[in-house]
Amino acid sequence: MSDLNITGVEGTVAIKPPPETPKLPPREWLKENLFSNKFNTLLTLFSTAILLMISRGLLSFIFNPERQWGSTATNLRLMMTQAYPEEQYMRVWVSVAVIFTLVGASMAIWNAGSRVTLRRLGSFLLSSGVVINILTLLAPFSGQAKLIWLIIGSAVAGAGGTLLRVSDKDKNISSLTLVVATLTAAILSLWIVPFGHHSFVFERTPRSMAETGTVALTTKLPWTIMVVIGILAYFFGKTMTSRFPSKNLRPTIIGIWFLTPPTLLYLVLRDPDFDMGHVLNTDIPIFLIFAIAGGILLSWLTRPTTGEIGRVCAALVLLAGFGMFFTPMRMIIRILMLLLATFALAAPTFAGDSKKQRRYVLAWIGVSGIITWLVTAVNTPSTIEVPGDFFLGGVSLTLLVAIFTIVISFPIGILLALARTSKMPIFRILSTWFIEFVRGIPLITILIFFSIMVPLFLPKGMELSEVSAIVIGYSLFSAAYLAENVRGGLQSVTRGQHEAAEAVGMTTSQKTFFIVLPQALRVSIPPLVGHCIGVFKETSLLAIIGLFDILYIARNVIPNQTEFLGSTRENLLFVSLIYFFFAYQMSKASQRLERRVGLGER
Amino acid sequence: MNEIENTETSASTRDLSNAPDMIVCEGVSKWYGDFQALDDVSATIKEQEVVVVLGPSGSGKSTWIRCINRLEHHQEGRIEVDGIELTNDLRNIEKVRSEVGMVFQQFNLFPHLKVLDNVTLAPIWVRKKPKAEAEEQAAALLERVGIPEQADKYPGQLSGGQQQRVAIARALAMEPRIMLFDEPTSALDPEMIKEVLDVMKELALSGMTMMVVTHEVGFAKEVADRIIFMDDGQIVETGTPEVFFSNPTEDRTKLFLSQIL
Ligand SMILES: Nc1ncnc2c1ncn2[C@@H]1O[C@H](COP(=O)(O)OP(=O)(O)OP(=O)(O)O)[C@@H](O)[C@H]1O
Ligand SMILES: [Mg+2]
Repeated sequence: MSDLNITGVEGTVAIKPPPETPKLPPREWLKENLFSNKFNTLLTLFSTAILLMISRGLLSFIFNPERQWGSTATNLRLMMTQAYPEEQYMRVWVSVAVIFTLVGASMAIWNAGSRVTLRRLGSFLLSSGVVINILTLLAPFSGQAKLIWLIIGSAVAGAGGTLLRVSDKDKNISSLTLVVATLTAAILSLWIVPFGHHSFVFERTPRSMAETGTVALTTKLPWTIMVVIGILAYFFGKTMTSRFPSKNLRPTIIGIWFLTPPTLLYLVLRDPDFDMGHVLNTDIPIFLIFAIAGGILLSWLTRPTTGEIGRVCAALVLLAGFGMFFTPMRMIIRILMLLLATFALAAPTFAGDSKKQRRYVLAWIGVSGIITWLVTAVNTPSTIEVPGDFFLGGVSLTLLVAIFTIVISFPIGILLALARTSKMPIFRILSTWFIEFVRGIPLITILIFFSIMVPLFLPKGMELSEVSAIVIGYSLFSAAYLAENVRGGLQSVTRGQHEAAEAVGMTTSQKTFFIVLPQALRVSIPPLVGHCIGVFKETSLLAIIGLFDILYIARNVIPNQTEFLGSTRENLLFVSLIYFFFAYQMSKASQRLERRVGLGER
Repeated sequence: MNEIENTETSASTRDLSNAPDMIVCEGVSKWYGDFQALDDVSATIKEQEVVVVLGPSGSGKSTWIRCINRLEHHQEGRIEVDGIELTNDLRNIEKVRSEVGMVFQQFNLFPHLKVLDNVTLAPIWVRKKPKAEAEEQAAALLERVGIPEQADKYPGQLSGGQQQRVAIARALAMEPRIMLFDEPTSALDPEMIKEVLDVMKELALSGMTMMVVTHEVGFAKEVADRIIFMDDGQIVETGTPEVFFSNPTEDRTKLFLSQIL
């Protein structure tokens, strides 16, 4: 991390590097760490034996000729998107491409990646090679396959060993280069290695077909393009970083990240069938009225001279916003009213000269415009014809529900935590009740309630798809738990910090926003990420209420296909790998985040 | 610090009797539950005056100084700061707080912000200063407290003395008319105490109104216009440093001085 450089000292005093801890040769390392005394020796031998047994069991399960891995390979598309129509698949790829672009650009803009010494790479390769060889010996392979794998393992180990020996200690390589190399190798393998081509051909029986050769063009071509797009986006991000200051660039990219999920969902995947007459006669006029009237109100509220009467006005707007939920009113008006109240309440914090005022009003117009557009898109029927209830299933449904739930429940959870620790009894009591009530109900109850009951309670004329209802219920559930995690962080902020902020004259909202929340969220990163992983994994409960999430497909759909009867275990293993992949990425990201924000600590 | 020794108007010889009142306390009392921490405290502090508050541990020094910017609420009596009375009215409290800077024993810097941002945060958001102007001012203040090169570090990377000087710069950035110090050097190692006291001396000479709780007798003798001695929540004795240290009248003062001198 270059941020850690002690900038002030640079150039005045030469910094002496700390002495290196001597590295033990392998023999002594083994002796010191694994066989230091009788008990440790016993423990080492025992756990090695257990590990070997487990690996052997797993390998003989995977490579048992009775296994129907064809069921997994043939149904990959089912597991990813379920019944999404083939002729519309371009939309899916566009979404993936957008995400790859964002990932690539963000990695460049945030200077992702670190330097890996060639020696570390070498020892990694060496140990991987050894592990491959051991696993090959354990696996129930035929003589020829064993030989091939042994050669591969030895080659990898040999490459690692050579690297270890020839490279000097300071030579290093960017971890991004390694990632790109790995991805390229994976993509190349799709074009070269004969994985086989599995597909359903619905005109014949049995419908499934396995051909030899590389995977289908409809798989390898899009993925190749995706990887290329990701790499190009990285270089694009690099040029952006050199051209614009990062303090403008980063907020922009964060904003785009937040807008991406709803945009992809409603524009690319759902393709709303906008009724332009309605949009022109109703939605746009409503937006314009709010944008102009709200803009005027806010520019008045952000004037430093407005003072106390401004707060009264903001409170009135909030009351009006709540009031609208008890009268028949268009949803969009209610939402915009609440949004305006939020902006009005926060206005004193952002008050200042005319430039700041203008910026705040522009932010209001932008946010209200986006919200208007989203509400309109949600309330519009889709042009995509899909068999069944919902247009997505499998991994995409799992990710969709998880991402939306996490993103929606974060602000709600933070607000709940703030309310629960606030000095105002009303907020405190309401939020405590809500949190305790929600935590007293099992998640599955909430999911069932929201999927079956809520659509029945809705006022006439308002529609909510089952999945939206579930996301709302799940978000409320998640927010209650999240609030408790954040509350722990809030309480860890010392009284001295509150007093220091008050002593320089900050208002309560400024203190919360600039001093308390950043510190509270920082200490809550580990529990918060744990919570997010939990939310992701518990989406598997969607199977119980009959949605086609990935677990449901693996357990109930594929094993019932006539071609792959009873192939439950293979698919469950595969699905657990998918869950593991995403959960592991999240926990990796959390570790990186912790290291990044841990900077100021001593 | 040659300047200080050469200056003729060493703070303790000034005549401030005609200066306007900055802080007025009349019969201030405060209770924590049943325990009375302040008992009928009355005192007036003039503009440009430097007052050092002494007293044994638990005598209510911190409580009093914290009442003056409303970090604690007094229950009886009146406190007026620069003509503004402290009541429950939020606007008055905010006004007073932006006129009064405070430096704490434990520094209380914001650990998640760089030194520069620690100093500029309040001017930008409370005083509504343009960012560039605030940063320029912060750089000047860091220069004034002697650590211009630390602006881009985090507080956790500084020594205690440097942190406390950042805290002073942070308070000064709000351009306060009064500075309160609550034992600013008590958490510091001996070799760092001087660098902080030097900054405070310079501040006193520049004409800042200051109220300082400290156990540094040398600082009190050299810089203070007046010493206020507290015990059991009451003001026991006040006087100029010369009189107070050489010729105390009250028995409690004598006992206290015999313990610290
Ligand atoms: N929040 C509180 N709740 C209850 N009692 C308190 C509280 N704060 C202070 N006190 C009590 O009030 C009295 C005065 O405390 P104060 O902190 O003002 O003393 P002090 O003179 O600053 O002492 P020191 O030199 O140790 O800092 C002490 O007896 C203390 O126990
Ligand atoms: Mg104290």
